[in-house]
Amino acid sequence: MSDTQLTDWREHALTLESEVNKVVVGQQSPIRLITTSIFARGHVLLEGDVGVGKTTLLRAFTRGIGGGYQRIEGTIDLMPNDLVYHTYLGEDGKPHVSAGPLLQSGENLSIFFFNEINRARPQVHSLLLRVMAERTLTAFNKEHHFPHMLVFADRNQVEKEETFDIPSAARDRFMMEIPIVVPNDDLIMEDLVFNTRFHDVDTLVANVPENILQFDQLNAFGALLQNSITASPALRSYVLKLWRATKTPTDYGIKVSGVDMKRLVLSGASPRGMGMVLRAARVNAWLNNRTAVLPEDIHDVLHATVAHRLVFSPVYEMRRTEIAREMLSGIISAIAAP
Amino acid sequence: MKISLFNAPTHQPSTALLHVMRGLMLALSLHFSAAMADVKPLPDVDPKFVTITETNPTRDAGYVVGDTLDRTVVITIRKPYELVKESLPIVGYEHRWKGQLIGVELVDIKTEEKQKSDSTTHKLDLRYQVFTTGRTVKHASLKAEILQVRNLQTKEVFQLRIPFFDFRVSPLSIFGQVKLNEDMSPFVPPLLLNAAPEHRNLKLLGILLAFSLLGLLYIFGAYAWLPKMGGPFAKAYRDIRKMPETAEGLQSAVARIHQSLNRTAGNSLFASNIKEFVAAKPAFAPVSNQIQQFFDLSKQVFFEPDATVQLDDSPKDWLLKFCRQLRDCERGLRPDNKQKANA
Repeated sequence: MSDTQLTDWREHALTLESEVNKVVVGQQSPIRLITTSIFARGHVLLEGDVGVGKTTLLRAFTRGIGGGYQRIEGTIDLMPNDLVYHTYLGEDGKPHVSAGPLLQSGENLSIFFFNEINRARPQVHSLLLRVMAERTLTAFNKEHHFPHMLVFADRNQVEKEETFDIPSAARDRFMMEIPIVVPNDDLIMEDLVFNTRFHDVDTLVANVPENILQFDQLNAFGALLQNSITASPALRSYVLKLWRATKTPTDYGIKVSGVDMKRLVLSGASPRGMGMVLRAARVNAWLNNRTAVLPEDIHDVLHATVAHRLVFSPVYEMRRTEIAREMLSGIISAIAAP
Repeated sequence: MKISLFNAPTHQPSTALLHVMRGLMLALSLHFSAAMADVKPLPDVDPKFVTITETNPTRDAGYVVGDTLDRTVVITIRKPYELVKESLPIVGYEHRWKGQLIGVELVDIKTEEKQKSDSTTHKLDLRYQVFTTGRTVKHASLKAEILQVRNLQTKEVFQLRIPFFDFRVSPLSIFGQVKLNEDMSPFVPPLLLNAAPEHRNLKLLGILLAFSLLGLLYIFGAYAWLPKMGGPFAKAYRDIRKMPETAEGLQSAVARIHQSLNRTAGNSLFASNIKEFVAAKPAFAPVSNQIQQFFDLSKQVFFEPDATVQLDDSPKDWLLKFCRQLRDCERGLRPDNKQKANA
């Protein structure tokens, strides 16, 4: 039974991936990672320049997953209560209170899309962190549950004015931080500029069939998937070495150009972070039609799941994306399996 | 007149003092001559108790100053007589003839003694050196050495005479015919020193130097006798051959090849970067398919036991064959895909 389920769900997952790839071109790797995080039940943070298709990408996935979809724009004056409710004067001239984006879909909320999260204040981040971690919210004297909710957020790392950096504790709640870069292929670039189908995003996203996945079954299937894909002792040992290397890279001879490695890392990957690495790696193995995790599965998800969790000395924070990528590549290169 | 030795001038002894000294010397010489006159030669030992055999030099002429003569004398003395060892000639002693040194000196003596029930045999190896020369050929002699034997019963001492050996000493050059400072002909070969020991030492040192250089070459060559020998796969091949054909042995063998691949690549090699490895090390291009097969096997052994792997031989044999192919590649050879694993 479980084998059949695994096969059926894999077909659905690959269909979703394929449909999104038709809408957002040249982003196969981010699309695979987002698919992975959906089945690993982890929140996703997209990072990239303005106008590279982050929002379109997330909307396309949202359509394919189904369920309730809510979106909010991060602004400097956004307050936590704006996520929970909003007030207005009704036609009857009386004040009314209606549910905010978090509460509107109730338990059916499947995707909460936070656009430009780094423009919101830390108070908003704080509320969001609780919702992400516990999938509950107390409002109007009632506990609201969002069992199927995934948070997709994006941020623009280039623009720094009127933004609030997301603290490391908040970054750690996201399973993945996925960089979105402009495709380098000439044909794709030309297509993006000249093909008129990219002009209207709503029409473009509407090309993705709705409800390819059953959002309310994802939690159960996710648990089944995690229990079905095995990790051998050799792989466990390998992952432990990788974890230790994120904490003390100098012990493994890891070097990053122009960086004093003794001063670089203040804190390596957290236990939660490494747990998420394994969750994502199991999904990756399943998507590749395997029953056990291989080192390659770890490599496929390591950058996306660990890079944003590393805490560097403040002097290196401005270059964190580049340094984290080089350091993790060095770790993969230095540590052997078996 | 009172003679005072102490009051005499220090720079010129007094006449009286000289007289006293002369008197003393005369008295001493007279006493010594009288003592010498009292020394009587010992009686000869009865020949029936002694046998002497001598081995003299093979020639008795043509010796020049500096030459040595070896002589061996074997003396057998029957009981109750014994040799007085203090009477053996001593090195440096030079005989005289009519008060004149004869110019032949004993330079070495070696003695051996063999005891028997009724006799004792003494073997004396004597070496003499000639220190005399003359303008013409002249007579010289190894003088008779006189030893002493003692009768153990009567305590009487007798003398035993070793026969002399006559020979002739030649001059280094013939007087009147050769003047060395005028005979500088280039046809006269130079006098050569004996350099044989030095030649032998030179050869020995040369051999030692050659071995040292070979050792140094071996050390600088990363403990390999030939270039590209002793590489990671050559060592891995030797190690894998010794590993048992069990599950643990198979794991060790696969891990050993992983180790060599990582060392050759300079980083950890995974199935996902085989193409990059082959691009960076084109010598391994002929076995790229086998490398992929190896990673499939590794996947089964370490990570996914349910995975299937297609191999022509048993895993151990296949690994040996594969490792040998990698070894050929690292040596710059073209691997033979048909070779046997244990060849």
